[in-house]
Amino acid sequence: MGNIHTKKLFVKALNKKFGKDFDLAGKKADYAPFKKLGILQSDRKKEFMAASKALEGKRGITMYNPYLHAGGIPMGQRQIVPYKLSTTEYIVEGDDLHFVNNPAMQQMWDDIRRTVIVGLDMAHEVLEKRLGKEVTPETINNYLEILNHAMPGAAVVQEHMVETHPGLVDDCNVRMFTGDDDLADEIDDMYLININELFPADQAEEIKAAMGKTSWQAIHIPTIVSRTCDGGTTSRWSAMQLSMTFIDAYNMCAGEAAVADLAFAAKHAAVIQMGDMLPARRARGPNEPGGVSFGFLADMVQTQRVKPWDPPQISLNVVAAGTMLYDQIWLGSYMSGGVGFTQYATAAYTNDVLDDFSYYGCDYGVDKYGGWGEAPSTLDVVKDLTTETTLYDMEQYEAFPTLLEDHFGGSQRSGIMAASCGVTCGCLTGNSQMALAGWYLSHMIHKEGWGRMGFFGYDLQDQCGPTNVFSYQGDEGNPLEIRGPNYPNYAMNVGHQGEYAGISSAAHAGRGDAFCCNPLVKVTFANPALLFTWEDIRKGYGMGGAREFRAAGERSLVMPAV
Amino acid sequence: MAYEPQYYPGSTSVGVNRRKHMSGDLEKLRDISDADVVTIMGHRAPGADYPSTHPPLAEMGEPDCPIRQLVEPTPGAAAGDRIRYSQFTDSMYNAPAIPYWRSYWGAINCRGCDPGTLSGRQIIEARERDIEEYTKTQMDSEMTDPARATMRGCTVHGHSLRLDEEGMMFDMLARCELGDDGNVSYLKDQVGIPLDQKVNVGRAMSEEEVAARTTIFRYDNVSFGGLGDAPERKFDEGLVALHHMWERRSKWGFRPE
Repeated sequence: MGNIHTKKLFVKALNKKFGKDFDLAGKKADYAPFKKLGILQSDRKKEFMAASKALEGKRGITMYNPYLHAGGIPMGQRQIVPYKLSTTEYIVEGDDLHFVNNPAMQQMWDDIRRTVIVGLDMAHEVLEKRLGKEVTPETINNYLEILNHAMPGAAVVQEHMVETHPGLVDDCNVRMFTGDDDLADEIDDMYLININELFPADQAEEIKAAMGKTSWQAIHIPTIVSRTCDGGTTSRWSAMQLSMTFIDAYNMCAGEAAVADLAFAAKHAAVIQMGDMLPARRARGPNEPGGVSFGFLADMVQTQRVKPWDPPQISLNVVAAGTMLYDQIWLGSYMSGGVGFTQYATAAYTNDVLDDFSYYGCDYGVDKYGGWGEAPSTLDVVKDLTTETTLYDMEQYEAFPTLLEDHFGGSQRSGIMAASCGVTCGCLTGNSQMALAGWYLSHMIHKEGWGRMGFFGYDLQDQCGPTNVFSYQGDEGNPLEIRGPNYPNYAMNVGHQGEYAGISSAAHAGRGDAFCCNPLVKVTFANPALLFTWEDIRKGYGMGGAREFRAAGERSLVMPAV
Repeated sequence: MAYEPQYYPGSTSVGVNRRKHMSGDLEKLRDISDADVVTIMGHRAPGADYPSTHPPLAEMGEPDCPIRQLVEPTPGAAAGDRIRYSQFTDSMYNAPAIPYWRSYWGAINCRGCDPGTLSGRQIIEARERDIEEYTKTQMDSEMTDPARATMRGCTVHGHSLRLDEEGMMFDMLARCELGDDGNVSYLKDQVGIPLDQKVNVGRAMSEEEVAARTTIFRYDNVSFGGLGDAPERKFDEGLVALHHMWERRSKWGFRPE
């Protein structure tokens, strides 16, 4: 039955990795022996060695030497294979997917950390009622022009102030958006995120209905500022420039007490951070990755807007965003350190493996239950979809030893298989808790069939996880969309959090929703001026790996040439 | 009627083998000397005294504690041995053991041990003379095929890689070799330190033997869910039982009271 749905999307990638004539299904290296060529089979490792050699004299201390690995046995005793970014033609080396080597990945996180959404309506009310100022579309346009001068780091009121070089902060911009079509018509195009133009008509109506006739500013401070400071800086930098801009645009007295009312209304009363502040033991402020809820991240990704007909594709792009942000950057560096976490994350967005597994499950489900979001939200449906999908996934690893070799760690396999089930159950039932139930069942089937899963803590989370799916008690409940990386049972290990974001989005993609959790976040990241490729996450990573992506935060303008 | 543990469902060879591993009712296939086991473990030289972390319990004057009176210490605990480990990697290509079942074997059958389970390796920690005994049991028994199960303290990704040219599990550190006589020898200890001389750990099993002794479900041997291209899937009893556990766990979490 199931095999009619298989597409084997990963075969093309495996052929690119291992070679066109390689026996992908051969179990023994007799068919294509391990050549044990070591480090020299990788162009990137050779480049690193040459770079290190060139730097040695200047640094006066040793650096990169891959022959120090494993007591003198370098990597590459098996094939070092490249990675194909899923659904794209980009093929890069694994090293190119570490965020240090990939400027697009850095920009993705920078775009989140430097963003804050601030309401305009309360400030306008204070201006009109408390200060007697007139607010019109013309004054708003004037305000936005001044704000786009000030927000990058320029002065608007005081004399003899220092300012920032525009060439260093050119990624900074502020646009407004509104659910009021009449007001939107009056705003200069360059200052507007036009919901009606950027979203399909039904999605635009849904978003505008959700936000009413409110007006908001999508504020992206300079990348270089948030990189030098931290996520908590974003709202502060934004707040200062906002209040100074109001003073300039509406010709206000800088010392009048009423301005304090405006300052509160403009700077703090309607502020939406991209990430909540974390408890003190995590020692992170707002707008840091550990506070970015799964639903917010799902709304930042824009695939839903440009490919609404393809729910799995929407979900897979959110998975890609999430695994990079939560695994590579949050858990891998903020919380742990080192380079190992990249290997977990890449499995989720390379070589079309998760794509194949997810489309298999979805095709099976659509055939059986009639269409996206049409399967009943019951445990029996989840059991059916998940069991079929997981067994298919396991069989692919068994039938293609090169696929198993590519996902050589159990946490990779467990995360990928469970994600395909979460995506499938989400897209088919339109219910994120059902998607989560499928995620956990898949892990358990994997563990029971193969007698292995991930690692100590990884397994704990998933084996006890079913009990929190339908719980709504205090610290163990919540809809998946408003859980996040610091949810108690999720805070400790890799290979989960990005997938949770993806399966949150799957439920809403299956329903055909315009957004997953917050319409304001969805619109803010539709801003065409954002640098990262929010519509196609995997393409962005490929561009970064292929060295085609130019990120913000350039400093060469103010440094001597290398 | 006396209680008899049932351990695991299913009438397939995998179900039977899983029950054997859990019950400890294992066939002994070879007899590796104590000295050879200790050499491969690499914690102390064969014949050397056991380092200790405290005096023998008999000399310590233990507090008046009902639990201590109930539980007889293991030989290693009684002697004050330090805690050491052995860790095995089992190939996914029909190695007889799988990590969770090594852990179940340890937890059910070995006193005073601490099993840890991962995807590519399974570790058991215990007092040194105890873990040496437990390790020997594993290496001597049908739990271990010398070609597809290796004591590896590190670098364990061979569990999921294609088999090496001679049918051995891939090992980046090349700890073992297959001899012309069909026997497998360790050239390095479990963390890859070269040994003074090879340690023979017995004959590699044939494809047929590993397929018969394995505890892993695979679609090309004993399938967990029926073949994907068959008209209908047929779930193993283990999968049916698992469905039941998952459903109960999910419903338990939903407690509207």
